[in-house]
Amino acid sequence: MRLKTFAFKTSAALAVLGLSLTACSSNSSATKAVGGTSDSSTPVSGGTFTYAEVTPIKNWQTQAARFYEKANVLNSVLDRLTYYDTEKGEIVGWIASKFESNDAKTEYTFTIRDGVTFSNGTPLDAAAVKANLDALGLGIESAQIQPNVDFSAYKSSEVVGKNQVRVTLKRSDANFLRATTSVAAGLVSPETLKLDNAGQSAISKIVGSGPFVFKSEKADEEVVFAKRADYKWAPATAKNQGAAYIDELVIKYLPEVAHRAGAAQSGQVDLVRGLQPIDEQTLKAGGGTVYAASGVDLTANMAAARIGSGKLADEKVRHALQSGIDRQAIKDTVLSDSYEIAGSIVNHKAEGYVDLSADLAYDPEKSKKLLDEAGWKVGADGIREKDGEKLEVTVSSSNNSVVIKPAFELIEQQWRAIGVKLVNRAGDNTFLTNALVDSKIEFFGTRQFAYGGLGPVFGPANNTQTLNADEELNSLFVKEQAATTEEEHLKLVGDEQRALVSEKALTLPLWDEVQVYGANEKAHVEFTSGTAPIFQSAWKSKD
Amino acid sequence: MSLYIAKRVAQAVLVVLLAYTAVFLAVQALPNDPVTIFLSTDASADPATIAQMKSHYGYDQPILVQYFSQLGGILAGDLGYSLSSGAPVASRIAEVIGSTLTLASSAFVFAVALALVIVTVGTLSKAFWIKKLFVNLPPLMVSIPVFWLGLVLLQVLAVQLDVMSLFPDGSFLSLAVPIFVLAVHLSAPIAQVLFKSIQTIEQQPFVDVLRAKGASDAWIYFRHLLKNAAPSALSIAGITIGTLLAGSVITETVFARAGLGQLILNAVTVQDIPLIQGLVILTAIAFTGVNLLVDLIHPKLDPRIISADSHSARALAA
Repeated sequence: MRLKTFAFKTSAALAVLGLSLTACSSNSSATKAVGGTSDSSTPVSGGTFTYAEVTPIKNWQTQAARFYEKANVLNSVLDRLTYYDTEKGEIVGWIASKFESNDAKTEYTFTIRDGVTFSNGTPLDAAAVKANLDALGLGIESAQIQPNVDFSAYKSSEVVGKNQVRVTLKRSDANFLRATTSVAAGLVSPETLKLDNAGQSAISKIVGSGPFVFKSEKADEEVVFAKRADYKWAPATAKNQGAAYIDELVIKYLPEVAHRAGAAQSGQVDLVRGLQPIDEQTLKAGGGTVYAASGVDLTANMAAARIGSGKLADEKVRHALQSGIDRQAIKDTVLSDSYEIAGSIVNHKAEGYVDLSADLAYDPEKSKKLLDEAGWKVGADGIREKDGEKLEVTVSSSNNSVVIKPAFELIEQQWRAIGVKLVNRAGDNTFLTNALVDSKIEFFGTRQFAYGGLGPVFGPANNTQTLNADEELNSLFVKEQAATTEEEHLKLVGDEQRALVSEKALTLPLWDEVQVYGANEKAHVEFTSGTAPIFQSAWKSKD
Repeated sequence: MSLYIAKRVAQAVLVVLLAYTAVFLAVQALPNDPVTIFLSTDASADPATIAQMKSHYGYDQPILVQYFSQLGGILAGDLGYSLSSGAPVASRIAEVIGSTLTLASSAFVFAVALALVIVTVGTLSKAFWIKKLFVNLPPLMVSIPVFWLGLVLLQVLAVQLDVMSLFPDGSFLSLAVPIFVLAVHLSAPIAQVLFKSIQTIEQQPFVDVLRAKGASDAWIYFRHLLKNAAPSALSIAGITIGTLLAGSVITETVFARAGLGQLILNAVTVQDIPLIQGLVILTAIAFTGVNLLVDLIHPKLDPRIISADSHSARALAA
């Protein structure tokens, strides 16, 4: 980790050096918030588009696409039954031209679009959809493939009529349709489903119906895809209904964070993920574009609270920590304008979002008062104590987010001011392995895909956020999933947020999930609600 | 001689076996089995799936059964399955090992050549300042961090000047620059040891005798000093394989190259323990193999090693 910090500082120094060397900076610089029409100019056809991901991936099995590295690539290879349109804020047709459910939300019927084929020529018909849904809902035991967690209510499906598939669920699930929009619910050819785990994990053997088709691979260095010229089944609201504009898509890997801005700026790649806040200005100054892809499909970044050690068992302590975080300072210090302070546990643009920012206001005096009331008295070293025990709490997180560790470093300082010591183990993956299932580690810093709503994230006893199945919360989740009208559903989604954040303070929301991409000035690209680049509509301006 | 070889080979086999055992025990000492650890990274896993995968990969067997079946597998070239890709560990390694071998072997050859040039110039130069400069080069080189040199070169060459690619594209520079970065770090200890050992040998009476006979400095250096100092440099070269591997991890990351280094890094990040286990055993084999080779070459350079009935034959050579 020391090395990382040093590398970070070096890159900062180099970035400054780079700026002074290329003193010809253009000032046409803007961060593009994604979701709207970001470009009015007409797309140009042709060319090779190079995209740099963060780490190489060797497992492309559909259900495993819950990480950005995988989902961002598979998004261009696999189509889904439905698509979530961020602009409209609704689910629209894709491979399913029509979809409906019974009132109890226990049965969903999908009408499969005519004429869709996988890239190997076999039809994507109702039978192929059933085979996929079975694999997603039940897993494939013989191939050691797990079921998709958002399909936990899945029971069975059957082909009805000529081109319809009816899905039967074990219980009501108002979120099931949304789960079918996820890349992790991407459709593969029945031939792919017959392979073993290693076969289904190999990108060369994954046959989808998407706008791009596998062409070649250099292990751990690059994957090349060619466009499918006969593609004509984009999501209903997509502006480009035909084949991709670009001829070829090259995925490369750029593990070194220090080069990401430079790679996009110099034109060696057209688009790169994982731009550091500190590099955003450098890239803009050099004429590049910073795209902030909003993670509508994910929870906000948070510190989820566990009560196993007893220190957070008292609600007052959790509330004290909630109001002891100065979120504006986090944004100003370690984030950038690409990031938005969270107003709830879900993203501002998510369906059913309720604004709880008043409950998230920074109020250290209130925190101190609450801690006093809870019996934690300030000790000689400034850290509060109760019954001889110090109020020392630990946070664990993976190193997947580039900003999470510095954010917790700042929170560490803020909490010290109210007499709480934070042990910051964010970014330490080895520690995380044990911490994930240890309820005595008080905080888990994370953000999660929430295709199945907040229930699967915070609900079951083995959920890794709180490691605690709160009965009240769980009955609320069950009610929410069983909601039969849109109105009732949204109300219950709001209740869940209020319960989690404002009433129980079981999670301390920090900032909306966003993935920051850097693009060369010639590259034009849009993103899905899951922050994946849409290469089917991406294009490059001519020189 | 054959007894010496047999002894060294047996020692090497024992070292690898102990390394395997140590790794095996380390994995057993983890708070959980590899499948659970892998599946629980960042998300909650289904207990039934974990149980199913555990039995599929044999992690539910008694410890002794696991120990011997894994050992048997290794002898047959089977290192188990990588959890992150589902592919056999051996084939995952085979995919990328070529890239690392190219990088590491070229860097090693270049490092030895670089060390020889530095030591030769530093020893034979008449100008005091040149001598001083070259003697101080190795400590400087060893203190330049590999990643820093790589970052700076890429920033200048790839981003500022745009004369090379940030990615390995098969061009001369895209291989030469990483080789250079790795070799600089690697040649430092070799040069350092060679310098010290030449300085020590220079003090010996036979060198005075040679000088008295009218031999030139260059003749003495190439015919006698270098030959006598070679065994110690060879020993240190054998040990640098560790540095080489560590350097490769960083070089491959900075230069976005596929290879064992990247593989190790990713295996550790995603907690793919069977893959880590396979890589550690491979490293142990490589390390032991190279040092065995060094031990076998030593007697050629210094026949006293065979006659000396000592456990520390190498100490004698140094």
